[in-house]
Amino acid sequence: MRTCVPPLVSSSPGTSARPPDAGHTVGATWTEAPCPVLVVDRHGGLVDVNGAARILLPGAVSGDWLHEHVPSWLCDAHRRITDGPRPADAAPLSGPIRERHFEAHPTAAGDGGVVWWLVDDTDRRLAEAALTDAQTRTEILSHVSSTLLSTLNVPRCMEVTASMAAEHLADAAVLVGPAKGWRQSLTYAVRGGPVSQVVQMVDVSGVPGLTEALQGFPPVPARWINPDDIPDWVTPDGFAGPVGSVIVAPLPGHGVPAGALILLRSSTEQSFSEGEEVFARLFAARAGAALSAARLYSEQATVTATLMRELLPPALTSVHGVEYAGGYRAAKDHERVGGDFYDVHPGSDPSQDTLVVLGDVAGKGLDAAVLTGKIRNTLHALLPLTDDHQRVLDLLNGALLSSRHARFVTLVLASVRRRGSRAQLRLTSAGHLPPLIVRADGTVEDVPSHGTLVGALPAVTAHTVRTVLGPGETCLLYTDGITEARGGPLGDEFFGEQRLRRALAECAGLPAEAVVERVQMLAAQWLGAGRHDDMAAVAISVPRSGPLTVLNGRAGVSNRRST
Amino acid sequence: MRHPTAAAELADRLWQAVAGGDEYAAVDLLRKAAVDGADEEALLLEVIAPVQRKAGDEWAAGRITVAQEHATTAINERVVATLAHRAAAPGRHPARRGRVTVGCVDGEWHAFPARLVAEVLRLRGWQVDYLGARMPTAHLVAHLHLTNPDAVLLSASVATRLPTAHAAVTACQAIGVPVLAGGRAFGTDGRHARALGADRWAADARGAAAVLEAGLARPGPAAIRQVADDLPHLADQEYTMVVQSRAMLVKQTLVDLETRFPAMRGYDDAQREHAAQDIAHIVDFLATALYVDDPEVFTAFLTWTARILEARHVPARSVALGLDILAEQLREFPRALVLLREGRTAVVDRPTRPTRPVPGPHLPV
Amino acid sequence: MTNLHPTEFTVTVYRTAGTLTVRVAGELDYDTSDGLTDMVTRHLTAEAGLSDLRLDFRGLTWIDSTGLTALLTLHRRAAAVGATLHLDHRPDVLERMLRLTNVLEHLTAPASRAGTPDRQEGDATGTSVH
Repeated sequence: MRTCVPPLVSSSPGTSARPPDAGHTVGATWTEAPCPVLVVDRHGGLVDVNGAARILLPGAVSGDWLHEHVPSWLCDAHRRITDGPRPADAAPLSGPIRERHFEAHPTAAGDGGVVWWLVDDTDRRLAEAALTDAQTRTEILSHVSSTLLSTLNVPRCMEVTASMAAEHLADAAVLVGPAKGWRQSLTYAVRGGPVSQVVQMVDVSGVPGLTEALQGFPPVPARWINPDDIPDWVTPDGFAGPVGSVIVAPLPGHGVPAGALILLRSSTEQSFSEGEEVFARLFAARAGAALSAARLYSEQATVTATLMRELLPPALTSVHGVEYAGGYRAAKDHERVGGDFYDVHPGSDPSQDTLVVLGDVAGKGLDAAVLTGKIRNTLHALLPLTDDHQRVLDLLNGALLSSRHARFVTLVLASVRRRGSRAQLRLTSAGHLPPLIVRADGTVEDVPSHGTLVGALPAVTAHTVRTVLGPGETCLLYTDGITEARGGPLGDEFFGEQRLRRALAECAGLPAEAVVERVQMLAAQWLGAGRHDDMAAVAISVPRSGPLTVLNGRAGVSNRRST
Repeated sequence: MRHPTAAAELADRLWQAVAGGDEYAAVDLLRKAAVDGADEEALLLEVIAPVQRKAGDEWAAGRITVAQEHATTAINERVVATLAHRAAAPGRHPARRGRVTVGCVDGEWHAFPARLVAEVLRLRGWQVDYLGARMPTAHLVAHLHLTNPDAVLLSASVATRLPTAHAAVTACQAIGVPVLAGGRAFGTDGRHARALGADRWAADARGAAAVLEAGLARPGPAAIRQVADDLPHLADQEYTMVVQSRAMLVKQTLVDLETRFPAMRGYDDAQREHAAQDIAHIVDFLATALYVDDPEVFTAFLTWTARILEARHVPARSVALGLDILAEQLREFPRALVLLREGRTAVVDRPTRPTRPVPGPHLPV
Repeated sequence: MTNLHPTEFTVTVYRTAGTLTVRVAGELDYDTSDGLTDMVTRHLTAEAGLSDLRLDFRGLTWIDSTGLTALLTLHRRAAAVGATLHLDHRPDVLERMLRLTNVLEHLTAPASRAGTPDRQEGDATGTSVH
């Protein structure tokens, strides 16, 4: 049994005086106590009340019954106490009296009576409740922000927004996205249930305030919205209807509205308070910011991808009995394009030449890539003239010459035609590293073509070389990014032409893809994490007809695969 | 493949075709089996996968060259592409499950295991975005933002890719996409996948399918973290220091080896470069072992290397000596010293013939 | 004398009579080329009466395609003021690149005030000396 006022009371204003110990008499000082004090006999009759109690309970005088003046929670408590000792772990007694809220602390009086000390905790409770609400809301907002900020995917952002709104703000939430033509993207969430997304035609004007919210106008107060006016499409499946109250909150975007959020509570729940409405708007602001960031990102990414598609190296495959394979790595690993490029333009039929181009524009990144796009388009237009490489280079040179800068391109042209089991090649290097040829026996040859770089000088000259590839032989066109890969075990050496030749010597008889992959892998591993230029390689191979040469002791020192 | 023997027999025939460099025979063989009603998943996992593994083993045993092993992979890729093309016929395997992304971590060249997983998942009704080998993490994250898959499957075969894999795991989780890790690099029991905080790990393609079918929860904002939060031992900076001084460590070790290992003085340039590369690999695996704080990563690589070197008539003693020289340079790094000591013991006490190749940089799959 | 890139790349400019001599040391690449172009252009436009621009490459350790772009640009700018470009003390790496791209003859052809080999008249960087 609690016999004295707990320390809590001493911190409340006006109750610093420790009440007199339980005794047969109650000292006179209690009458001066600022908190209401009631002395009640064991039958529930009021023995005495102090001044503060008279203010609280006007008309209460000695001789009245307790239950005539106080609510039942206190009367019940009194009866329990006089019936027997309170368990030690009993919760503190508290409850409302006349619009205020009190903790009631009993002390024993004479003859089994009880002195009730009533401590007003109304303001503390209000403050505590407000604090808890504020904390919870801050936590919710912070959770919403961090969850939404982690994704730049629009459907995912909508899903998270609807689901969190249903979780924390309402019984159900509907996120109405900006219109796509005549249709609206709708994301439905019910508390504790799944989230569903649909795109359909709905009449947004049927929801009071929704049209305005979607246009970014200030929201219509919730109390103006009659739940009976809400059309059926708004209520998600699984909502324990009917709808009792509704909030329509705009999702403010970066300049353009990101949609609107409809919050629903069923009629069995309390309707939205003004505080909740304000909070819903804060929530919607966070969600709107995240959603428009995601929308902006995906629009940009889509635009970039569309533009980039033209600049990306093409996928290569077999054409008219000759295998082609290409590999590309941009200088900056976060970019996909750069100054190196290649193309294979198939001959219109097997009797026609297929044109292979591999080149390197001075510079890096998007700037260089844009120039490669121009060059690739020009060369495509010049395809009918490729019988004469020099003429193609002349025309390309004329097209690229600019008074504004001295940017140039170096490139290799290869015209390829299958003849029987072999392929005939015409190769022209315009200021570019000459191609290398791997013969069936593993010999690596230079192609002695040379010529002027293109696009910076008034005239170019070039020397075309003819050669033939037999079955299992490969011609490799490559850019200097490969031979100039700097790294290796000692960290500062060039990969160099010698290593490239050694690697190629092991590639006799391999399919074109395997040659390119091998070369790319060795160069990449040579680099490690080091910085590098754009790297590109194209292999032109005549498929082998017979089986691979049977292996012998060659699988010795030369048979190494770097990590 | 209702009968295991039928699968084994088909695998034998595929191996003959692939080893013979006969792409057309290989493709025909599998196409015919598929037309005859063989289960496509079984063809991928019980016929093609074993053949690819065999190529690695054959290389390890010195029976085929590394270039030929590239060729077998290229042919196997085409065989898989043929099956995939067949399976992609309209209405055959409608994507009735969710969407997933499959790819290899940056710097990982062995794409074949991931490719098989991608195809198996497609057969099982997943919409799969297959990104292939060596996917820069920034590209991977951009892809995930655009596609919002239910999960990303990250593959790594070589242990030295683990630090990069870790960065990829945390990046994917930070944007709310759960990560299923797979491949030899994560350990035969997936312990490195757990250490790096991957949401799940799967031992093989069927295991991965099972994990996805059971469903993966999206990581919440709590998943956003720095790599050091998963691996507090990185605070000692030993990993960072070893990685940053890699070139210096290799140079010094090479110089000291030449003084203390007389046979090396007669090396030509190519041999010296091979030696330098071997030392660089040792340093790389040492750094990885420091990163995941697991000596097994280091000892497994060393015993493997010692065997390869012996096949090249380089005594394993030189490896032990190399480790001693590294230990002298890393005197102030207690964790590295423990690893080097354990590595040395593993090399010296190594059984003459390991029963099975351990995951090393030389393994293709 | 100005150091552009104290540790790796330096450009030192000397003026004697009608000759501007520029010593280039270090790596002339994507990161350093613009610096060389800008500095030499400044001197070419500021100093009248130049007949020769000598680029001295004895300290050059590396050049890439952007470095070559810089040389092509400087050639245009020199020709615009009637100065002949000379490439002195060419290390192997430069020699190889000039040979591969076939531009040595063009770069070092004597300049004439009347006619210039390229169409650089409308050069956006606009040298005012004509």
